[in-house]
Amino acid sequence: MTKTDEFAHLDTPLESSVSPALKFEVLAKCSTTKARASRMHLPHYTAHTPMFMPVGTMGTIKGITPGQLETLDCHVILGNTYHLGSQPGPELLEKAGGLHKFMAWDRGLLTDSGGFQMVSLLKLANITEEGVEFENPHNGKMMMLTPEMSIGLQNSIGADIMMQLDDVVSSLTTGPRVEEAMWRSLRWLDRGIKAHKRPSEQNLFPIVQGGLDERLRTISAQELIKRESPGYAIGGLSGGEAKGSFWRMVNLSTDILPTNKPRYCMGVGYAEDLVVCSALGVDMYDCVFPTRTARFGNALVRTGSLALRQGKYRDDFTPIDSECDCSTCKQFTRAYLYTSVTKETTNCHLITVHNIAFQMRLMRDIRTAIVEDRYPQFIRSFMKTRFGKTVPRWIVDALQSVNVDLTVPDETGYFASAIDSDFQKEPNV
Amino acid sequence: MDVKIQTEPFDARFPNVNQTKRCWQNYYDYSKCVAAKGEEFAPCRRFMKAYMTLCPNEWIEKWDVQKDEAVAKMRFHFETATTSKAGPRKGMIMINRGVQGKLQVDTPSFLKYTRHGMQPHLVPEVATGINTLPPITRIQIEDFLDERDLEKRSFKSLREFARLGEDMVVLDTLDPTIIARTARSAEKHMGIDSEGGVRRLVPTAFAQAVNQLDPDVVVAPADFVHDAQPSLTQGKRISKSVARSIRWLDDMLAGVAHAAVLAPVMGSLSPELRAASVQALSTRSNIAGYVFSDVALAPSDRLWALQQSLPQLDATKLRCMAGASAPDMALRAVLNGVDLVDSSYAYAVTEQGWASAYTLKGADMPAHVDLWAKSMADDFGPLVAGCTCTTCSTHSRAYVHHLLNAHEMLATVLLQAHNLYWYQHFFVQIRQSLSCGSLAEDAAAFFEHYGPSAFEELDRVAEQTCSPTTKVQHQRHA
Repeated sequence: MTKTDEFAHLDTPLESSVSPALKFEVLAKCSTTKARASRMHLPHYTAHTPMFMPVGTMGTIKGITPGQLETLDCHVILGNTYHLGSQPGPELLEKAGGLHKFMAWDRGLLTDSGGFQMVSLLKLANITEEGVEFENPHNGKMMMLTPEMSIGLQNSIGADIMMQLDDVVSSLTTGPRVEEAMWRSLRWLDRGIKAHKRPSEQNLFPIVQGGLDERLRTISAQELIKRESPGYAIGGLSGGEAKGSFWRMVNLSTDILPTNKPRYCMGVGYAEDLVVCSALGVDMYDCVFPTRTARFGNALVRTGSLALRQGKYRDDFTPIDSECDCSTCKQFTRAYLYTSVTKETTNCHLITVHNIAFQMRLMRDIRTAIVEDRYPQFIRSFMKTRFGKTVPRWIVDALQSVNVDLTVPDETGYFASAIDSDFQKEPNV
Repeated sequence: MDVKIQTEPFDARFPNVNQTKRCWQNYYDYSKCVAAKGEEFAPCRRFMKAYMTLCPNEWIEKWDVQKDEAVAKMRFHFETATTSKAGPRKGMIMINRGVQGKLQVDTPSFLKYTRHGMQPHLVPEVATGINTLPPITRIQIEDFLDERDLEKRSFKSLREFARLGEDMVVLDTLDPTIIARTARSAEKHMGIDSEGGVRRLVPTAFAQAVNQLDPDVVVAPADFVHDAQPSLTQGKRISKSVARSIRWLDDMLAGVAHAAVLAPVMGSLSPELRAASVQALSTRSNIAGYVFSDVALAPSDRLWALQQSLPQLDATKLRCMAGASAPDMALRAVLNGVDLVDSSYAYAVTEQGWASAYTLKGADMPAHVDLWAKSMADDFGPLVAGCTCTTCSTHSRAYVHHLLNAHEMLATVLLQAHNLYWYQHFFVQIRQSLSCGSLAEDAAAFFEHYGPSAFEELDRVAEQTCSPTTKVQHQRHA
């Protein structure tokens, strides 16, 4: 794990922005793509971007202690407002002095608005101008979550970055509902900004909405810029839409959003998505995938993932990833992990540690490549390892839009052809 | 290893026609070379080629056997200054793996309970935060029975495979926390339940497997009668179990090359059959120690069985006890002269969602703190006031209470770190008290302070196999 400041030698920011609770400094820009490496000063920690933020829904990353997360070099982690609001609840969190103190984590925290869970977890959500009305799963009564309440809850939690309550529609929805949701999200943002009680200690990020409609996304992004927020999120994606639409919406958003402020693409965590979106100029990501898949016994590697419960690992006495410097890879073999995978909680913690280390190392490599201005080369070598000769078309297209053409051979002779599949099913081993 | 036999050239150190000394010198040099550099180290082969040429084959065979026996004898050594047959005693286990290092463990102590060779809930970097855990790991072969031919897989030893560092590895057959068992044993094999059905453990084959897995100590398989009320079991069944266990022990003693063999003391609740078991063990001088494994019996019966047989055993040998992990049982076991129990109690406390708070001298609080209790919800103090474990120095009762309610796995991680720390601390207190000669007095105060039932609820670990993160448990506490 690098403990040294990887940006130590970069003193002069190329671009920067200062808000009461956030200072963002772009320290290096890729000369080919839109990628950039930046320092983000938050009230609790100075994070390096592009960064991945592991999800700790209930105020804990599953089975991992805060001390381990520090060792793993995590800068910011996520908490979910909906879950924390119902348990342990805002009163207790205030009494504890905020989530940082409650969970003994003194680095960065980000909380979502709770709106996404209303839609993903609750079938009976009814969205009105006032807010989201839903049935409380704990007592069966109808409850209302308003933008003001969401900000109130997030003020109690005390995260460095809060998210606005938005009117979330599935990314597969089309028609007037998408436009209605986009405008409503803007009105809710203004109510949220007004309700925000701790602007000098916490940042409120608005969310670009507008579904898969370029016109609506453009309006949404332009409207958000007027609010001069400390940073911006790109939302309403990663909901099962075609990858071809996904990257175009991300690209469109980063084209409009100011370059001197952080951009956060919500719900993104697959390695190839992180590499591509960073090329499109995104700075922050979160996803449950790396930690969740670990609990099913899947270990992430640059070629894809290893399902350690498969018999082929029985006699494989190599570490999960011989290049990984995590405590799991330094000690255990695939063969030993195989003997108790999905049976012992300790085993599941070991794989979780590795998967977080995998994400952190990938982001570190991305940052280093950007600082050294060899990000296009990094992308090519990553894609070669991950996919070989055939790369999903959306990746080829997305990278072409930022001047990296995978179909043309590079100095190493590598090139790829596009295939019409969003995902490669089998890892490229 | 194939060595081309050809006449050795003249060696100026051995000018005589009689080359006996030269033969021995080369045999000795080869052993030293291999011990220092390993068999793969090519220059060692020079010595081997020389002695193969110079020494008569029967000498080589004889020396090889003697060397193996010597290594086995050297590797495990137990020492106790106490000569009395029963009563608490201090001792020391020494493990000498030659070039691979030495290890020393003070007793009374405990074996670290593992599942699949792993500390429950604790990855190594979290477990190492608990200082002074005894360097002894207990592994039960039943965890690996669904892995066919574990021993044939190409790893050097179980210790290396499970990354147990320099720990002394004790390989037992059964998990001491599982009491309800259905598998039956037969004349030639021990039956063990596993996820994949009943597995047969054949002692002669097990001995061969042990030679590959290379633990420092192995507990011989035995024909346990898993009957909570053996008084209802026919005496004939118990008698058969004693006889079979001795036969299986002999199979192990004959087949196991390097590991020290511990023998289960059998006979259940029959004084005559217990005496028969002890009698049979007394004629087998090459066992390294004894194990009391009557986990299916009630706690008081387990102690009765211990008291019945222990004074008749060779007092110079190591004594272990399974089913004596709870602090009160462990203390009684130690008072009776047991050297090692296991740490499964710490795990049981964790699974219950409790934090240990018992001390040998008796603290101003109950033996455990129930982190499920509603009063914990806004208690921002450590799990146990004054505790210096990693959990208590960083986290609050309120946080652990929240984690339990949220079914979060970190709850059991933090609790296990505390409970295991507490368990080792309890044994530090026992050893100190024993050194000061005040153990009998302190133990009496301990039983007086906590009463007869403070540890009863968790004694039968297996009856609450669900973890606190499961739904069933949640409903119980809701």
